[in-house]
Amino acid sequence: MVAVLKIVVNINLFLLREDSKLMKKTLVILLLILMVGCAKKYTKAPDVTVAPGGEVTEDTVTEEEFVEEIIVTREDDEIGESVISPEEEAKSVFKDVLFDFDEHNIRPDARPILDNVAAFLSKNKNFNVVIEGHCDERGTNEYNLALGEKRSKSAQSYLSSLGVQPSRMMVLTYGEEKSLCTEQDEACWQRNRRAHFVLVK
Amino acid sequence: MKNEHMYRKGTNLIYTCRQFFVFSLCFVICVLLSVFCCLSSADAKIYIDITDPGFRQIPLKINTEGSPDANEVKWIAKGDLEKTGMFSFVSPGVPGAEVVANINAEPSDKLKVVLTVTDLIENRELIKMRFVGAKSSFRLVAHRIADEIYRAMTGQKGIFRTKISYLVNVMPGRKELRMMDWDGYKPRKIVSRGLTPSQTWSRDGRSLMYSSERKRKWSIYRFDLDSYRESVIFSSKGLNLVGGTSPAGLVSFSSSKDGSSEIYILDPYRKKLKKLTRSYGIDVSPAFSPDGKKIAFVSDRGGSPQIYIMNSDGKGRPKRLTFEGNYNTSPAWSPDGRSIVYVGKTNGKNQIFVVKSDGTDLRQLTNVGSNEGPSFSPDGYFIAFDSDREGTRGIYIMRSNGETQKRITPKYVKAVSPEWSPYLK
Repeated sequence: MVAVLKIVVNINLFLLREDSKLMKKTLVILLLILMVGCAKKYTKAPDVTVAPGGEVTEDTVTEEEFVEEIIVTREDDEIGESVISPEEEAKSVFKDVLFDFDEHNIRPDARPILDNVAAFLSKNKNFNVVIEGHCDERGTNEYNLALGEKRSKSAQSYLSSLGVQPSRMMVLTYGEEKSLCTEQDEACWQRNRRAHFVLVK
Repeated sequence: MKNEHMYRKGTNLIYTCRQFFVFSLCFVICVLLSVFCCLSSADAKIYIDITDPGFRQIPLKINTEGSPDANEVKWIAKGDLEKTGMFSFVSPGVPGAEVVANINAEPSDKLKVVLTVTDLIENRELIKMRFVGAKSSFRLVAHRIADEIYRAMTGQKGIFRTKISYLVNVMPGRKELRMMDWDGYKPRKIVSRGLTPSQTWSRDGRSLMYSSERKRKWSIYRFDLDSYRESVIFSSKGLNLVGGTSPAGLVSFSSSKDGSSEIYILDPYRKKLKKLTRSYGIDVSPAFSPDGKKIAFVSDRGGSPQIYIMNSDGKGRPKRLTFEGNYNTSPAWSPDGRSIVYVGKTNGKNQIFVVKSDGTDLRQLTNVGSNEGPSFSPDGYFIAFDSDREGTRGIYIMRSNGETQKRITPKYVKAVSPEWSPYLK
């Protein structure tokens, strides 16, 4: 059971890094299979169900090893545990910070995100963060790499102005080399013009 | 005539300079020139003046004899010559050819080919050459044959044995460095570790310099094409992107090691570093001019990315080259140093532009799809670039006036950022 938990935590950590919806979906299914497998081991009638409406269903395990594990799946494929771990909390905190075309200044809509990130980092001192700067594909590769770096540095300096030690933040750029999507429209370009956070221990 | 003139120039120099090695140098040049003249009796006649924009295509016939190797060689050589647009091809058995090339391959376990080129109008043999190589070398032999035919017709060195290095998107965040023949065949993997988004040739064509991100660190590497070995030539924190190389072996690059991205010159042998720019904004993509005296680069110091030219010794103020549009990047010099090809954004799409290095005579060369990463061939007659006009981004070549744009990489490979090699030995 401990091993299973470890896997769950690992997968959650992995999810922090990967944004692919498909990946999430497969992992949710995988988790469920794992859960069902575990439940079978300890109880005869597993109550683990997927509640699409966002309701929580409980799974009581009464054998020698009592582990509380509740899987909540919502419409937006979020996975949660009843006790919110820092990793879990990070998932809702570390949202991408978005930028305008050929710009690296922090927009007003990005400030609440960065405020939350700063609060999280000051609460959880054992975590550091890598800030990746990304761009949309309309620019050219080399200039975009430099621009991506400017974006990650903007986020870094905003966070350091909120009291996060610069040594806990590593800036890195990927320019247009790691796109989240490839559609030729503003919605996709906007998703790609981002500073993305990767939590490291 | 030419020979005589050179000789007179040579003797003058002896008397004015009276230096022993000037004398010996002139002597060597004179000897070489006379040898050259004896070897090729065809040097007097230029069939195609490629500097004349309205030149007439030469009707050429290529015949094959002997083993089937001859045909294979013919198709590659014909493909080379066809891309120049300087020849019209006359089918065997049809009259009208002015020049005929005969490719004769001996049936053998090796590749043994004899090339003869004859001027049918003057009934004169221009070339007779024999090539021997392994069976696997037929592409090289074919390109060599195309080079010889091209030289006989134009008096110029052909680029058919040059290579193009380029980058392939293997998956998001992974880009590998590859190299191929100029016609897109024989692709070869050079470096597949990490993310490699920028690269350039050394001027002697014996190594490739490139930037790679590995384990969250950006370093500049050199790959020796003779020994097939990789070495680090520069590493620091921040982003380090290689730009170009000078005839003296210097490497220009951009680095944000001290904060903002600035232009540097590295002497990799003496391990000396020189910082050329100091601006708050982004300075990237420094390209050495062919003589190594100037550097064209991209800077957003004026509010938008534009191309500037500065002296490579860092003296004086950089001069802005581009004024049309608000997104001009990726400069590359023509081999004569007179023009710069670059990417400019117009109507929301990236297009290839060429402009004289004094800023005059701006021309747009592409208008379909989004086009990036231009690089001149060593004779200045072609430009390689990447385009998404047919879906997946791939490598294209066109003549430097924008004519005959043609894809040379397969449809399913996402290939970008071509860099044309210098002439190779």
